[in-house]
Amino acid sequence: MSSPARFLDPTTLARISNLELLARTVVDGFISGLHHAPYLGYSVDFAEHRAYMPGDDIRRIDWRVFGRTDRLYVKEFEADTNANFSILFDVSGSMHYGSGSVTKVEYGKYLAACLTYFSRQQRDRVGIVTFDDDIIEYVPASAKHLDVVLHTIDRIEPRQRKGGFEQPLHKLAESVNRRSILVLISDLYEDPDTIMRALSRLRYKGNDVIVFHVLDPAEVDFPFDEAAQFLDIETGERMPVVPEKLRTEYQGHVREHVAVLESRMGKSEIDYCFVQTSQPLDHALFSYLSRRQELSRVR
Amino acid sequence: MNFAFLAPLFLAGAAAIAIPIIVHLTHREKKEPVPFPSLMFLRRVPFRTSKKQRIRNWLLFLLRVMALALVVAAFARPLLDSSGLGLAVVGDSREVVVLLDRSYSMTYGERWDRAKGAAEDIIAELGPNDRATLVAFADKAEVVSTATADAVTWSAALERVEPGGGRTQLGPAIQTARDVLEVSELATRELVLITDFQRSAWDGADAVRMPAGTQIREVNLGDSTATNLAVADVVVDRTQAGGRDQVRITARVVNPNEASAELPIALDLDGVGVETKRVAVPAAGAAVVTFATQMVPDRAARGRVALRTNDVLADNIFHFVVAPIVPVRLLIATSPASRSTDLLYLQQALAVGDDPPYAVTTKRVSDLRAPDLVGLDGLVLMDAPPPQGETRDALETWILSGGGLFVALGARTGPGAWPPEARALIGGDPGGITDRLGDRGATLSILSYEHPVFEPFAVPRSGDFSVARFLRYRKFTPAPDSTGDSQRMLVRYDDGGPALFEQRVGRGKVLVWTGGLANQWNDLPLKPVFLPFVHQVARYLSSYRPEPSAHTVGQVAHVAESRLAGTSGDEIVIESPSGERDAMAIDGDVSVPLDQAGFFIARRLQSGTSEGVVLASNPDPQEADLAMVSAEEVLLALQPDEAGGDRPETLAASLTAGQKERRQALWWYLLIAAVAILLAESVVAHRTVSVVR
Repeated sequence: MSSPARFLDPTTLARISNLELLARTVVDGFISGLHHAPYLGYSVDFAEHRAYMPGDDIRRIDWRVFGRTDRLYVKEFEADTNANFSILFDVSGSMHYGSGSVTKVEYGKYLAACLTYFSRQQRDRVGIVTFDDDIIEYVPASAKHLDVVLHTIDRIEPRQRKGGFEQPLHKLAESVNRRSILVLISDLYEDPDTIMRALSRLRYKGNDVIVFHVLDPAEVDFPFDEAAQFLDIETGERMPVVPEKLRTEYQGHVREHVAVLESRMGKSEIDYCFVQTSQPLDHALFSYLSRRQELSRVR
Repeated sequence: MNFAFLAPLFLAGAAAIAIPIIVHLTHREKKEPVPFPSLMFLRRVPFRTSKKQRIRNWLLFLLRVMALALVVAAFARPLLDSSGLGLAVVGDSREVVVLLDRSYSMTYGERWDRAKGAAEDIIAELGPNDRATLVAFADKAEVVSTATADAVTWSAALERVEPGGGRTQLGPAIQTARDVLEVSELATRELVLITDFQRSAWDGADAVRMPAGTQIREVNLGDSTATNLAVADVVVDRTQAGGRDQVRITARVVNPNEASAELPIALDLDGVGVETKRVAVPAAGAAVVTFATQMVPDRAARGRVALRTNDVLADNIFHFVVAPIVPVRLLIATSPASRSTDLLYLQQALAVGDDPPYAVTTKRVSDLRAPDLVGLDGLVLMDAPPPQGETRDALETWILSGGGLFVALGARTGPGAWPPEARALIGGDPGGITDRLGDRGATLSILSYEHPVFEPFAVPRSGDFSVARFLRYRKFTPAPDSTGDSQRMLVRYDDGGPALFEQRVGRGKVLVWTGGLANQWNDLPLKPVFLPFVHQVARYLSSYRPEPSAHTVGQVAHVAESRLAGTSGDEIVIESPSGERDAMAIDGDVSVPLDQAGFFIARRLQSGTSEGVVLASNPDPQEADLAMVSAEEVLLALQPDEAGGDRPETLAASLTAGQKERRQALWWYLLIAAVAILLAESVVAHRTVSVVR
């Protein structure tokens, strides 16, 4: 593994305690491996004039054209506006599971830190929302909030509470007024209908939603051998399980869940990215970058 | 071949094999729950039960069962009950014990060389499965080489053995041989006795029958024509002439031979020839030679009386020490108010006698200082209070290190004279005066005759203490004895009151006499028993022990620490006559084992050029008689009770199941196999059972 890519391995990242350092290390290392210029979407180049519509900001009226033509035109630039970027971080009890050295919530923290740092590099305003079955912390998007966001990510503690999407995302949809890029990091242990209901509200308000579905390899492969009582981390419920008997069916259910989510989110123009905590971060970062590129031309 | 178990009840432990079966079949579910993020998908899988369990890992199961079975079998102590195996175990090998006489009579002629040659021959005869044990003996037996068939080891052990100065005693050696042979499991037992069969070495009571089947043979180095004369004893008589000490040395020469002899005998002191005389000794008799009177040298002189004879035995020379007389130093501390007549009887009693002589000084107790105690053998507080301050501290230290204090309580030493803090020294509280004028006085009635002070008076008509009348005496109440054995009441009056009380403090002792010693309260000083009583007390206080001029090999000489010159260093070196040096720590008196004839020197390690203490050691005169006992008589007395028969078969047949099991020790192999299997089980279990949490 080359030197920059080495920092994308979650096991290696687990040794870095400073999140900003971690994010900088990952993002700079990641970007240095790309061929494109790093600051995608940021530009002050003039694009075109458009006829003034009621409601447009009068500061954007091109007064010279008005002087020449006596008509109101509005100047439009390429990606002239910096986007609002917010992480929606699911910190419910199930996120604190990890069969290896990195738990899902830790993986999510790295991912959130990297994306936040990366977005800030692109002059975006950054914010974060942590939630389980309700909103726990809410940091509104701001150009000055990088440190606050990183600190909030850093302070995420294990919680035993059950997760939920409807209530927190509903509240969020009401509070986000400006179009934003919303990145949801969660293990999505919820019925796809419920998830889609919650996400659709955000999407309908014009936000760009990117979903990172984070799972542990053990949740996907179910590699257990011995019959045992399985304990639900969130509810404390116990269930006798003979893994060898139901492994195949379990794996099928997980695959089906992922497929349904991917399909339904695709239809709703929500970017869906399935990642496992054993995978390097670049997979998730590429997913984000490709989406960001598509959004670079903001009108 | 029968297979049996010594402890078959342990086989019940085989039920433990059920444990791995249960583990593999029924106890497969982990007790610890496995945490999992969500049971959402697991709940969707239809619930199924499986009543029929099966063993999944046969290799692990078999390893565990085998390990348990082997452990159970090991505890049951298996044995193979077979006569063939018995033969194989016992074999046809020999257990040989060689008793080699190393007494000083073995230095006669070529006896020692022949003895070593015979011992070498024995090892040369041994087969590869044979073993031989070498026991060297004189008055004690010592296993020089444990059972071995290695000629090099044997020769090295034999080389270390040298004839010493001890006398022959067959008894301990024979017992040692029996101990070795008795526990031997080899087919043939053999005892070889290499000695000169001196009559003095054999006592019929030494007869010890060897174990059954033991073959006994002897290598007889004795010679019925051997002759020997010996200086059996030297007496050093001390006399005084013209105020100077003189010694007269008398030697006794014994001739156990059948022919009379006349030969020269010489005396030398410190290597300088003093006088040579001729002595005529009758056959089977003894003669006494008295040498001219000599002045006592001012330091210990090493004396030798040597017989000029043809034999070269060690008993031709008698070693002795002529040492100047060292008086016992006593200090009598008196009260400032005491009169000179108070000490009259005590001083007169101590001035009489020269065994030992006493160097007595007197001092007011108020003038007593710590330096006065240095080198002192005994201190008497004659109706005087205890010293104060540093002097009392020094006195306590002096007693702890072995000093002797005699406290004579009298008219001036009531409770006021002994402050409470000083009473721990005497182990009790002095009280008021008991007046017995009304009933013609008290007598001493209960005496501890087993105490060293009163031992000489234990025999009837050897001193009557009851004749003395005590019109007054001081009361004394012993303090409770914290240790239980440090205090002792030696003498009581007829009314039970304490007369003489002893307290041991460290290595020293304190005697408290309540009747006064000044012929005022009692008439004891006027009685004949007073003089020996005072001498006995003085000897006891000073731990006096008369030093003999010569010792016998085999004895242990005790040297008082005070006799070792110099004060520095707590280690002494003992130099033997052969020049070997042995260092040992000083802890009170020094014990010097005398195992050679000649002069031993004990000195402090850092005593500089000091001579140290010289001890003379001589061979046991009983060894001088070379007359022989019949070898047949000795061997007959050692013969086994019953004929050995065919040793392997009888041994195999006579072995109990326990002995057979002990010899085979199969349990040991089973346990090793069980451990190996358990190790393999660990490895297999580690590789197969990998739980992903």
